[in-house]
Amino acid sequence: MERLSLIGLSKSYGGVPALRDVTLHLTAGRVHALMGENGAGKSTLIKLVAGVVRADTMRVERDGTALTIATAADARRAGFRVIHQELNIVPQLSVAENILLGRPSPRRLSLLVDWRRLQDRARVALEFMGAGHIDVTVQAGDLPTGDRMLTRIAAALVVDADEAPPCLYILDEPTAALTAAESEKLFDVIARLSARGAAVLYVSHRMDEVMRICDDVTVLRDGAHVMTAPIAKTSREAIIQGMTGHLGNDTVLPRHTPIGKGIAAVAVGVAANRLRDIDFTLKQGEILGVAGLEEAGQSDLLRLFMGLGRVTSGHLKVLDDPAPSGPVQAWARGIAYVPRERRAEGLMLGMTIRDNTLIPHLGDYGIFARKAAETDRTRGLADQVRLRFRGPDQPVGQLSGGNQQKVLFARALAGKPRLLLLEEPTRGVDVGARAEIHALIRGLSAEGCAVILASSDLSELLGLSDRLLILQQGRQAALVDREGLSPADLLARIYSPKAA
Amino acid sequence: MLTHLRQSGTLVGLLAIILFFAVQLPDTFLTAQNLLNVSQQISMLAVTAFTMTIVMVMGDFDLSVGSTASLAGIAAAVLFASGWPVWSGVIAALAVGIAGGLFNGVLVAYVGILPFIATLGTLTMFSGTAFLISDGKTIFGRDIPAEFSGFARSGLHLAEGVTVPSMTIAAALVLAVVFVVLEHTTYGRRLYAIGGNIQAAELAGINVRRLRLSAFALTGLGAAVAGLMYASRVASANPTQASGLMLDAIAAVFLGMTMGRQGEPRVMATLVGVLILGILDNGLTQMNVDSYVREILIGAIVVAAVAVSSYGRKRV
Repeated sequence: MERLSLIGLSKSYGGVPALRDVTLHLTAGRVHALMGENGAGKSTLIKLVAGVVRADTMRVERDGTALTIATAADARRAGFRVIHQELNIVPQLSVAENILLGRPSPRRLSLLVDWRRLQDRARVALEFMGAGHIDVTVQAGDLPTGDRMLTRIAAALVVDADEAPPCLYILDEPTAALTAAESEKLFDVIARLSARGAAVLYVSHRMDEVMRICDDVTVLRDGAHVMTAPIAKTSREAIIQGMTGHLGNDTVLPRHTPIGKGIAAVAVGVAANRLRDIDFTLKQGEILGVAGLEEAGQSDLLRLFMGLGRVTSGHLKVLDDPAPSGPVQAWARGIAYVPRERRAEGLMLGMTIRDNTLIPHLGDYGIFARKAAETDRTRGLADQVRLRFRGPDQPVGQLSGGNQQKVLFARALAGKPRLLLLEEPTRGVDVGARAEIHALIRGLSAEGCAVILASSDLSELLGLSDRLLILQQGRQAALVDREGLSPADLLARIYSPKAA
Repeated sequence: MLTHLRQSGTLVGLLAIILFFAVQLPDTFLTAQNLLNVSQQISMLAVTAFTMTIVMVMGDFDLSVGSTASLAGIAAAVLFASGWPVWSGVIAALAVGIAGGLFNGVLVAYVGILPFIATLGTLTMFSGTAFLISDGKTIFGRDIPAEFSGFARSGLHLAEGVTVPSMTIAAALVLAVVFVVLEHTTYGRRLYAIGGNIQAAELAGINVRRLRLSAFALTGLGAAVAGLMYASRVASANPTQASGLMLDAIAAVFLGMTMGRQGEPRVMATLVGVLILGILDNGLTQMNVDSYVREILIGAIVVAAVAVSSYGRKRV
């Protein structure tokens, strides 16, 4: 194989385009980086090529010959190997079985598993990776995270005797769970794979890695292709510029009211779970943005204020009291939380808007529920958040994503919050609802409610925040004023391993 | 429309069953006396199923209700046998039920064991305890005071030949209490929220653990009430007499769940489930259908109803 072309890839989810007519040419023997912010369409692209998700439009050509990729089996037959971001191993099975999962096991008497041959094949794959230290007979669940990742990569390296040698390896954030030394081994493997004549599509947020091991780079933004260039002929700045685009002319509301004098929360040298060095003072009405790569500790930080997670050193004061003992106490004290996964963590989808809105506030009604009063209150709150709905008894599951998110805001507003914790408040929300949610956040802040806003949406962060806290692998790497901070500055701080 | 058809399917099934027996047994089935009989026969199952609904609302369930009921009956009978007054035996039995339920609740909510495994374990424990304190014997005859066994034989005399059994009244009272608790208190609303999405409920400030604990206690209390009714009805207590209640109670709630808009348990729907099981049992017995065949039929109806409902849900 010389050249693999992925032409005109498009995919929409429920009318919202995730990938718009993206074309990518990969060359044998070259490592091609795919970059973009969260939500730029990288994962969607990988899922289409892997045959996991059906494309709306896609043409795949190898050396000019069209290939049909409709299922994962098609992709495998075409010689594509994909290492997805999520660690999907089966913890109960041995390492050897994990490596050869989904393939017919070698047999004895065509009935019994030939364990020795199975283990030998797994060992060969691991040794190719330079991971010969992993014992193939232990249960995969007993391995440390890095070794699990190596196991998964080894699984992608296995080639059955009757299979064509793989022509494309796709690695999605493979180093996220690896130590520096393990990453080095992986880079070595990638070099050997491409030297054997395979193309590699490498997805990573880590700019240093990309600059070092990749030959070409393609940048996506909002589902569309932005640029493709050889690494040697581009620069970090150009790539960051490509990822962020022009963010200045966003519609996020600017601040009109001054920040309050009173103090809403103080963290002094807090460490908890993965978090370290958390240090800030939050004023009433202030909006503190929290930025970082995915899984840099944003959830942990917000949940700390809900009383989930234990402070192991330093101290935390929230609304003049020590951190709450748990969500029950947090809501009672006027701390409201809009979690990241609204369907999994936020809503009872089968229940009514009224129930979902008032769940934390049922204590206001004493022992007996008062449907009429609750319905009135729900209507008032729904108006406040501009909910589009049929009535308070409509199940939340029937609402659009934006309106579901507004129900969570209605729930937060109902408690007259003094501290509002937001995590990705406008993810998967249409433009109109996004603007309305931003107006709500501004409004609450103007009334003196302090806000901690964790988001991967840079224009949202820059448009709303007064200050920005940057997390890197759980550590507070910087706390900077919004004033005078450009999107490129912010990105540079998020991406750089050691921000100033 | 399809949703309504699916939801009302179980109710239509109940009416069809009643119609079937009314035609097959024209002289005996639809008489006041027989219907009052049915209501008494199902009263113990009803109480167990109504209170089982409380934990099932949260997505949990309790396999130990049958042995809790037996244990409660034995506890009362053992006290009666050693000369304690009726009221003290009754209170002790109810306390046993609450204690058993709390134990289940601690295992499920605080230790974090799956309800299936936790209550399977306590089922055996409670059953063993019942054998232990009764010495494996049935307590009956003079040991059971007449005022205790008299309860099951008493009733509210309405008209000539129409006496509503006290057992039926007791079940109706439990139904009313559970209905108010689940549908009209903030407590019940919180239980439904836990059943709707336990993680979201916790993040929304619901005290999930304490509520699960208390709900299991209520289910245990209900099982103890059923156990006392059983002991009163047969004027005796043995360590296994109520063990059949558990499967029927869960089946009744499942039948009821086919009527929920989102497949959630509702206590009035559980009543429909109890009626289906009770009327089938009564009618088939009157038609002299072999009791083994009866079991096959009842099991098949439960499976069919739930299968139709989940198939319908996928399509809607």
